[in-house]
Amino acid sequence: MYGQGLVKGLSITLKHFFGRAVTEQYPEQKPVLSPRFHGMLALDAVRCNACGTCANWCPNGVIQIESVRDANKKRVLTGYALDMQYCLFCGLCVESCPQNALSWTQDFELACYHREDTLHKLYQAEVSQVEAASGSE
Amino acid sequence: MEKAMEREVFRADSPRTETITMNMGPQHPSTHGVYRAVLTMDGEEITHIENHVGYLHRGIEKLAETRTFTQFMPYTDRLDYLGAMLNNLGYAQTMEKLMGVEVPERAEYIRIIMAELQRIASHLIFVASYAIDLSSTTGWMYCMRDRERILDLFDMVCGSRLTTNYMRIGGVAEDVPPGFLPELQRLINDLPACFDEYDGLISGNEILQKRSIGVAPMSAETAIAYGVTGPNLRASGVAFDLRKAAPYGIYDRFDFEIPTCANGDTYDRYYIRILEMRQSVRILQQAVDSFPEGPVMAKVPKVIRPPKGDVYHQIEGTKGILGFYVVSDGTSKPYRLHIHSPSFVNLGVFPEIARGGNIQDAVATLASIDIVLGEVDR
Repeated sequence: MYGQGLVKGLSITLKHFFGRAVTEQYPEQKPVLSPRFHGMLALDAVRCNACGTCANWCPNGVIQIESVRDANKKRVLTGYALDMQYCLFCGLCVESCPQNALSWTQDFELACYHREDTLHKLYQAEVSQVEAASGSE
Repeated sequence: MEKAMEREVFRADSPRTETITMNMGPQHPSTHGVYRAVLTMDGEEITHIENHVGYLHRGIEKLAETRTFTQFMPYTDRLDYLGAMLNNLGYAQTMEKLMGVEVPERAEYIRIIMAELQRIASHLIFVASYAIDLSSTTGWMYCMRDRERILDLFDMVCGSRLTTNYMRIGGVAEDVPPGFLPELQRLINDLPACFDEYDGLISGNEILQKRSIGVAPMSAETAIAYGVTGPNLRASGVAFDLRKAAPYGIYDRFDFEIPTCANGDTYDRYYIRILEMRQSVRILQQAVDSFPEGPVMAKVPKVIRPPKGDVYHQIEGTKGILGFYVVSDGTSKPYRLHIHSPSFVNLGVFPEIARGGNIQDAVATLASIDIVLGEVDR
């Protein structure tokens, strides 16, 4: 009979009318994210030895590392910045880090109004710290 | 004056009017991205269609030459962005073929699970967008609801929903987390009922049937002549699927069928996807039942320098045959990388099959071909 398909379709939607709502009311209700979620990157500056592996692995040159050599010719991290406008969120930097210093956070609200705000400085040493590290050569 | 007016008057014995040229796209909701078709219209009838592509060209093949083999993996996500896992798989297997890498058993199973989940997710987007192109907003919502669960599983495994970057040359990036398999089993149990819902809501809808049955039929000969592959080819009655014809990975271990339709019209091209999703669920169930333990990554050097030479490998993507051709000169970056994308090939047949219909039919036909512009333009 013509129209049977329409009635069947309507009965399916009617059934869901009384079911549980699946929509998440986003700004009010925050989503439950998985532990592996790729949000913002976080750096453990104590662990980082400024080897530059993450910057080499990054396909887009997002990571900018500044370092100085101390008295023992060892690299000391003085600055770590991410130019997030080019980030693919691929996670190759986190995967490549030999010290496990990089990790993902659950923060995904990264939209900003100005291009310069996309540069995130994860670590910046004080001037006195830089001088102390490099001046002792 | 009178004579001039006479010329303008519509005469029944010569109903041909002057043809007009119309642009469909690049900003048109039914072109699924920035695709432009120039239609030559004789009244309501389309007499000629010209494809214009390239609005989403990002030069990914050229970008590959300045990236290392590992660094190119995230770019494959952005080809067919609805089938990122399958693009990852195609590229990873191509490189493994070139380097002669053996992938661990568990990684092979994870790959099959991810590939089939991605196939279902991509087909769900197809069913959803096909429904909304034919004015059924409800159909869109139902498919999106179920796709969400698949994306949540991807999020659980690799931290991303769309651009997954999960597979690596020699295996997969990480093992699946502990809660993954029970969640996947729940999804496998629920999916057949969801497909029944689409059958009731979309496939059985008389309005949709009237608009798509018999519209823009594509014969098997036409499909083969244009090199159409994937579900579009199978809708025309040709049972060709690389998973059976030339099994890659471990597809030869699974028991599944290749569904085909008879007419190759717009409705068949829609319905074949529903049938394929049911087969994908069968593969998923078998993969979950025989999921082995073990490592997920083969021993591959950190900096990949494959031997000199070239390699071509193709897999059955969501839209058809997806091929990667890689030329290596022995360094850590590819000398040349070419991508054979199914959407680009399938789009070529659109002018042929949509000619003779009207614009409404052309919209339905384009939706049924299932193109993704990220893959067409690369």
